Amino acid sequence: MLFVRNSLLTFLLALSWIAAIGQQPACECFVKGVVKDRHTGQPIIGATVLIVGQSNGVFTDENGRYELRNLCPGNYTLECRIIGYSPFQQKIDLTAGHEENFNLLEQEVHLKDVEITAHRTDAPSSQPLTTISGADLDKTRGQTLGESLKGVTGVTTLQTGSSIAKPVIHGLHSNRVLIMNNGIRQEGQQWGSEHAPEIDPFIATRISVVKGAAGVRYGSDAIGGVILVEPEELPVDRPITGELNAVGFSNGRQGVMSGTVQGGLNFVKGFGWRAQGTIKRGGNIRTPNYFLGNTGISENNFSLAAGYRRKGLGIDVFYSRFDTQIGIFSGSHIGSVTDLLNVIKNGEPFVKSGFSYAINRPNQNATHELLKAETHYHFNDGNRLQWTIARQYNNRNEFDLHRPRNDSIAALNHPELTFKLTSLTNDVVWDHKPIAGKISGQVGVSTLYQYNLMSGRPLIPNFNQFNIGLFWIERYVTSKWELEAGLHYDYRTLKTYRIVNREKIADHFDFGNFSGTAGATRNFSERFSARVNLGTAWRAPNVSELFSDGVHHGAAAYEKGDATLQPEKALNSIASVKYAAPGWSVEVGGYYNYIFDFIYLKPQPEPILTIRGAFPYFKYTQTDASFKGIDISGSWEFVKRTTISSKLTYLRVYDERNDGYLVMIPPNRLDNALKYQLADRGKWKDGFISIGNLLVAEQKRVPPNSDFLTPPKAYSLWSLQAGTTLKVSEKQQLEIGINVQNLFNTVYRDYLNRFRYYADDMGRNASLRLKWKFGA
Amino acid sequence: MKMNRKLTWMLLAAMTMAFVQCKDSGDEVEPDDENELITSVTLKFTEQGTSNVSTFSYKDPDGDGGNAPTKFDTISLKPNTTYTLAIELLDESKSPVDDITKEVEEESYEHLFVYTPTPAALLTYTYGDKDKNNYPIGLTGSAKTGAVGDGKLKVQLRHQPGAKNGTPTPGSDDVNLDFILKVK
Repeated sequence: MLFVRNSLLTFLLALSWIAAIGQQPACECFVKGVVKDRHTGQPIIGATVLIVGQSNGVFTDENGRYELRNLCPGNYTLECRIIGYSPFQQKIDLTAGHEENFNLLEQEVHLKDVEITAHRTDAPSSQPLTTISGADLDKTRGQTLGESLKGVTGVTTLQTGSSIAKPVIHGLHSNRVLIMNNGIRQEGQQWGSEHAPEIDPFIATRISVVKGAAGVRYGSDAIGGVILVEPEELPVDRPITGELNAVGFSNGRQGVMSGTVQGGLNFVKGFGWRAQGTIKRGGNIRTPNYFLGNTGISENNFSLAAGYRRKGLGIDVFYSRFDTQIGIFSGSHIGSVTDLLNVIKNGEPFVKSGFSYAINRPNQNATHELLKAETHYHFNDGNRLQWTIARQYNNRNEFDLHRPRNDSIAALNHPELTFKLTSLTNDVVWDHKPIAGKISGQVGVSTLYQYNLMSGRPLIPNFNQFNIGLFWIERYVTSKWELEAGLHYDYRTLKTYRIVNREKIADHFDFGNFSGTAGATRNFSERFSARVNLGTAWRAPNVSELFSDGVHHGAAAYEKGDATLQPEKALNSIASVKYAAPGWSVEVGGYYNYIFDFIYLKPQPEPILTIRGAFPYFKYTQTDASFKGIDISGSWEFVKRTTISSKLTYLRVYDERNDGYLVMIPPNRLDNALKYQLADRGKWKDGFISIGNLLVAEQKRVPPNSDFLTPPKAYSLWSLQAGTTLKVSEKQQLEIGINVQNLFNTVYRDYLNRFRYYADDMGRNASLRLKWKFGA
Repeated sequence: MKMNRKLTWMLLAAMTMAFVQCKDSGDEVEPDDENELITSVTLKFTEQGTSNVSTFSYKDPDGDGGNAPTKFDTISLKPNTTYTLAIELLDESKSPVDDITKEVEEESYEHLFVYTPTPAALLTYTYGDKDKNNYPIGLTGSAKTGAVGDGKLKVQLRHQPGAKNGTPTPGSDDVNLDFILKVK
């Protein structure tokens, strides 16, 4: 949580002018400007600005100013590198076409304001970071957060039907993946595999994935990776702009509308605001051969943000509310193992259904509120202090298929499960002033206090949890090397309260652990770079792992927790090389993640007897597990305008202590796409058509006799996409996108979809997406 | 502008107050009495024409998990005899004990008991009751034993809201117990 602030930070090369004095062939053009932190508006000292392909880089001075001289007319790419920020590039045009401008006097050689924005990233620079933004993010609009990330190599989803998707990074998910929502650690009931993150992706203009253990940056739990959901910076003192998105999906006849309005205030300087809202309605999903009863979804979300900047001081306030109601496929309700075996034997659900928008039992209703205030102050000497406080309230209600038989209780229509989780976080981070323009660092402290109130069918206990973390990170950057190292200490105390035989029982746990990171990035040339990172992270066992005791009806398994579990410790090594040339690029990454005391459900030899018959008995147990994998992505423009791209996600997981495999590991996948870029015609721009194929292998590495059903066969899905942008006027544009998923209506089941026992996966789904931007 | 800054800090202080509120989740933990369980199933065999009653039970008073079931009787019946079979379901985790049989009776149109002997020749069950839609329930019926032998009697309570059609297929199990059956 310490790191909260950074994910918000973006910065800007504002007031950046390209100026040129063109005495035709003479190379006397120049570029100059100021580098500023977009979030705070303060100049950045010691940023490297260079022209790609040339060696004459310069550093910004104490006012953040830079100037590159003696450039010949031509096309250039300007690049800026700053410690702790992701590098950015901007194309600049100093060709003859602008000659008339070049002849102006120096004071007037202002071609246009070139506003280059780059985002400050909190992620360790030596760890792979994939960001989805702009047009790529637009293509995922209307989908859940988990599904939006499916296109990233190394990322898959754990699904419960089609409407509940949790992101899986390098085979790890739920409590092992941390989500930073607008800089705040998302706190919900993450332990549940059917509890999707309660986040509206429309809030974000950037969604990034940090792969690998990142405990130093983000505190405990970040064993598998981190997902950063970041909104755009507030438009301080800008005119009013906005956008309206409308997406319609054929499958489920789902409609999504989302709008954003933002701007500054004319009468108050230094003020910016934003209001955003999303509505989603969907009905029953159809597989190629039948509808799935009660699989509708309804969502109403909104967020409000406001900020104030004055010299070195900045204050931001943010509020968001996410409210969803999701129907759970009625055919997935089983009472006993016999029920499950019957459905499997039948090959399709017993419950038949038509189309309907109605959401009946079983269903889950979840709301998530986030209130956040952040303030920062820039000292004149370059030091900076930031303080963030946030309150989250997660309210989850789950309704079983059957109402209570007792009429008077049934009439109350209470959920069978209610979880109310309140989390309060507090982070203070100090960025020390750069040392010699090359070393930057930060020190921080963060606290988390949370309490969980549970009612209904006993599942997890009530708990109070307090966590304090301290961290220190330093980075060293030269034009060829980036080095970083850091240390984090966390202490957590957990008190749980539960009812056993009508008596209250309290338990107390204390956990404390260090995480460390060390990494290096080497830029061999502007085309070729390599990075390596060693990181550790840890995760305390969660309440469900400590105290589960009962039948998990979705899985037809009796799951029992163990209050003596110790924290998991992960040691992650990750390395990647990237080569990008005009026309083609390739990135190859490999990782080896060793998790000590990995917590998993171990099958027990004897089944456990209940009133609904005997259930297979699983106990939360610890082992040592290794996660080895390769992520490869590449693209090649083999004919002008035609690009082929491929992504490979390969993972092998092994239980080192027991010499065996682990369950629920995503199978390997290969994603290929062929894209044709259309030429711009008048007001029509950025048109494209692409066809894609996703191959998902069969997961053959599973422990023997651990499942009622062997993992599904391999499958291949085709998709089709097209899109274009219509420039209606200077200030208005319309983007149109068409997307058909599962083009040939292929019948398939996915190993990581928990409904694979009951029904096929989703059939063909065509969607039309419109985005209208105004005032831009 | 001094004023402005003062105001800002005051605002921040006020916000901090809003964020600081501590609560102890231990104060709010209490047993859930709405959660319906079936903890015991009792089969009452009355030999027809006599008042000889034999009862056989499954009991797990604290529900799934926790302590193991305290009782799982072997059903022992005479060969070639007709019995009246009544079934009783209780929730003994509540105090007072909750009679689930009554609840099932009230909502008989969505419940069906299924008695399945293996081998089938051990026992023949005939339903003795019907719901408002004329489908069998199975709260009471008759059981006729066959020749001497050992096997099992599977007792299921199928919960079939909105789907009851007289067959066991729709719905899901609320009870699914394999009693050992001895006919001797």
